[in-house]
Amino acid sequence: MPEYEDAELIKRAQSGDARAFESLVESCYEVMFKMAYKWCGKKEEAEDITQEACIRLARGLGSFRHECAFTSWLYRLVINTAKDWGRAQARRPAASEDDPGYINAASAENAEDTLYAQQIWAQVSKLPDGEREALLLVMAQGLSHKETANLLGVKESTISWRIHEARKKLESALGKEKAYG
Amino acid sequence: MDEHKLEQILRADMAPPADENARKRAVSLAMAAFTEEQKKKSEKRPQGFSIFSRLTGNTSISGRRETMERKTRNKLVYGGMATALALVLITGVSLTQVKNFSQITGDSGAVIRQEDERQSTLTAGAEAASPAYVVAVEAANEENPLQRWRRIQEEPAKTTVNTPPGSNAPAPSYIAQPPSSGELKKEKDGADYAIADKAIAGRASLAENMIVPASPPVQNLYVPIDPGPQPGYKDVGRDKFEDFTVNPFKSVAAEPVSTFSSDVDTASYSFVRRQLDNGVLPQKDAVRVEEMINYFHYNYPVPESREEPFLPTVTVTDSPWAQGKKLMHIGIKGYEITGEKPRSNLVFLLDVSGSMNSPDKLPLLKSSMKLLLDSLQPEDTVAIAVYAGAAGTVLEPTQVREKGKIIAAIDNLQAGGGTAGAQGIELAYQLAEEAKRNMAITRSDSSVGEMNAVNRVILATDGDFNVGITNPEELKDFVERKRETGIFLSVLGFGQGNYNDALMQTLAQNGNGTASYIDSLNEARKVLVDEASSTLFTIAKDVKFQVEFNPSTVAEYRLIGYETRHLNREDFNNDAVDAGDIGSGHTVTAIYEFVPVGSQAVSVDPLRYGSKESCTTVRVHADPNDASSPLVAKEMCGEPNVDSGNGEYAFVKIRYKLPDEKNSKLITTPVNISNARIWECQPCPAEGVCSPCPVTASDDIKFSTAVAAFAQILKGGKYTGNYTYDDVIALAQAGKGEDLYGYRAEFIQMVRMTKTLAR
Repeated sequence: MPEYEDAELIKRAQSGDARAFESLVESCYEVMFKMAYKWCGKKEEAEDITQEACIRLARGLGSFRHECAFTSWLYRLVINTAKDWGRAQARRPAASEDDPGYINAASAENAEDTLYAQQIWAQVSKLPDGEREALLLVMAQGLSHKETANLLGVKESTISWRIHEARKKLESALGKEKAYG
Repeated sequence: MDEHKLEQILRADMAPPADENARKRAVSLAMAAFTEEQKKKSEKRPQGFSIFSRLTGNTSISGRRETMERKTRNKLVYGGMATALALVLITGVSLTQVKNFSQITGDSGAVIRQEDERQSTLTAGAEAASPAYVVAVEAANEENPLQRWRRIQEEPAKTTVNTPPGSNAPAPSYIAQPPSSGELKKEKDGADYAIADKAIAGRASLAENMIVPASPPVQNLYVPIDPGPQPGYKDVGRDKFEDFTVNPFKSVAAEPVSTFSSDVDTASYSFVRRQLDNGVLPQKDAVRVEEMINYFHYNYPVPESREEPFLPTVTVTDSPWAQGKKLMHIGIKGYEITGEKPRSNLVFLLDVSGSMNSPDKLPLLKSSMKLLLDSLQPEDTVAIAVYAGAAGTVLEPTQVREKGKIIAAIDNLQAGGGTAGAQGIELAYQLAEEAKRNMAITRSDSSVGEMNAVNRVILATDGDFNVGITNPEELKDFVERKRETGIFLSVLGFGQGNYNDALMQTLAQNGNGTASYIDSLNEARKVLVDEASSTLFTIAKDVKFQVEFNPSTVAEYRLIGYETRHLNREDFNNDAVDAGDIGSGHTVTAIYEFVPVGSQAVSVDPLRYGSKESCTTVRVHADPNDASSPLVAKEMCGEPNVDSGNGEYAFVKIRYKLPDEKNSKLITTPVNISNARIWECQPCPAEGVCSPCPVTASDDIKFSTAVAAFAQILKGGKYTGNYTYDDVIALAQAGKGEDLYGYRAEFIQMVRMTKTLAR
């Protein structure tokens, strides 16, 4: 069990123990960063989002009620931060819109897989926020539809619908360039 | 797409490892926020009676009022502190400006990553620094710990840090602790800083902002803010080039006139060379044929007076890569300034952002600048402005005779920080204006030289203008307006991976300058020493070419290259339309490939219904002698203006403006079939083996043709048939000529390399 799932640690941090909070942040930075990266696909941006999310974590830790897994709560926090960040970015004239991002999607075994993964990620980043967060929580983080629904404060059927929509979009976008069987 | 696969991909851990520094920063910031949060919590008083504890409207309003009052009070206190700090800084002769690229707006208004300039401490001596530092920290803690923390954290490189003694801040351990990884920089005693600080002096003019150093400005330092690019970060394949399609063959009947602007840039050649040296074929848009051709010098006849600054030399040869087609070379060589050279005021605007921190960028740039110093005269002035996280002046306009001072300033440059190109540009132009004004003053005392001085901003960058005016149009307009005031802009490009060629071309073209790409010290020498006078001294502005082909002798033509320099037919006579400029001794070569009437190589079918003469509708005055008479449309059908039309291939017109003039002048040359210097193809020795046709022409013609062929093959060889790299090598060898500097030999090597790569 990772350190950040330790309810005791979280409780101590909630009660104002700076040391406990520090080890909590230290231990969950990585998972937050990964989540942020999956959302935006750019390293620098992911770092900025994570940084902001860490600050929000410091401010909002008190509102964690131990009703769900801390990780899930973290995902929610990161995704909200990322969405706000995205809105802030949209207001600024961005020069690097054509930056494809996800350059590091290199975990697959061969080049073809990597390329395919990159295409998928590129498409995922184009999904509307609602579908994107549902897809990421369910598919990438392995939450159940129900957990995701609780987390996002919507009905379970909404999540199923969003996942369905997202997959449909991905399929139609990738269908044309079907690189995979 | 099967679900399992999708899930596998989405779940795969594809994120790059998080950066250690970023992590530390985030954790520290979170800790600061946490401490602040805890403090707030402990301050909370129970509302109402403790037994009937409930929230009431009143309490919340009074709470808000209290908050506001506290804020106002704090504002006064910290505002006062900030003012005091500013005073301390100014009098202590130590200030700089830190630009924070922070963007997120946090919940409580703590602004992180938002572009805002703020003053910060830069030490003159450790003693002056530490009190200021303490004040800064104290002011920072409650006012806006996150921002301040960030600033402080980024500053250790230049601040002699003392942990504030007795600071009553609640969270000093997180806020004031400098990261141990930071390198503490020891400043020289008495070092002064002349760095424009907009944060303090507001948006007033630069002259007021400048704090002129008291002791020798040799020690001016620009100290980087950022530790540099993050480890493991690589710029790969993000070079940006303008997209364009190759000029097609055009039927003379349909479009007898071809118009384009001159182009003396050479950036494309050196960029391509670099890519090939690295064993990579360049992307096709990076290859601009005309820049490849114009990289080399050709010995065209030189005009004798400055009034008519160039002579066109037109040569017609058989096309080596296509039978039945011909090439028409139009070569001009600009007048070479001899004797006393005009004075130059140069302002270098250098990108010292973190991305410049690689051997082929800033270090190369420094060596290049030192080279240029050697080709300047003692009275010329050089100024250096830099931009990264912030824009600043490193060297005030300084005469070249004080070489030591300039070299010291160059040596002190270091890379680090973000990229605020636009702001830097403004600063550089301000410096140039200053230098120009100063010179005007000295000149009124003793009028030096006849020609106006050259005022030029030389921008050196690896291509990105991330922050500031990000809109290229806006930037372009800015450069264009400044051009009208007589300050030109040249661009030196460095590095690769993130090279923004398109923007640099636009800037240079709109700034009446050239864009060069420096990939090696050798190239720097070529651009800044051997061709310094071409680069610096413009002899003709807005040089436009217009070629009218004779439909009775030429069936089709195509212009090789110059795609990005295309002009409309009517632009030729419109002096308001900007075009390329030619420097002293520059050569410009344009090559047309054309198909003579009657050749079998005609590719465009003749029109079935088209009349032989092309008719155009023009609007003329009803009474030709009365300019006030109404305009009427009149059909002009090809009554040839020239009787001897059959004896000419084409009519070449060149328009140019002298550097100080507003109205253009015209040079014309008919291309006669009989007197044009025509080298015919040797008769075919045997049936079927005479392709490619051996060209018998002067060395320059051969060589430029070889370069044109090479560039076209690199671009895909749409019109070069089965002409091979071997043919290019043979032709280039034949045309190598004297080759004093070895550029042509290098070209041949490059073709050999390409041949291997393309296999």
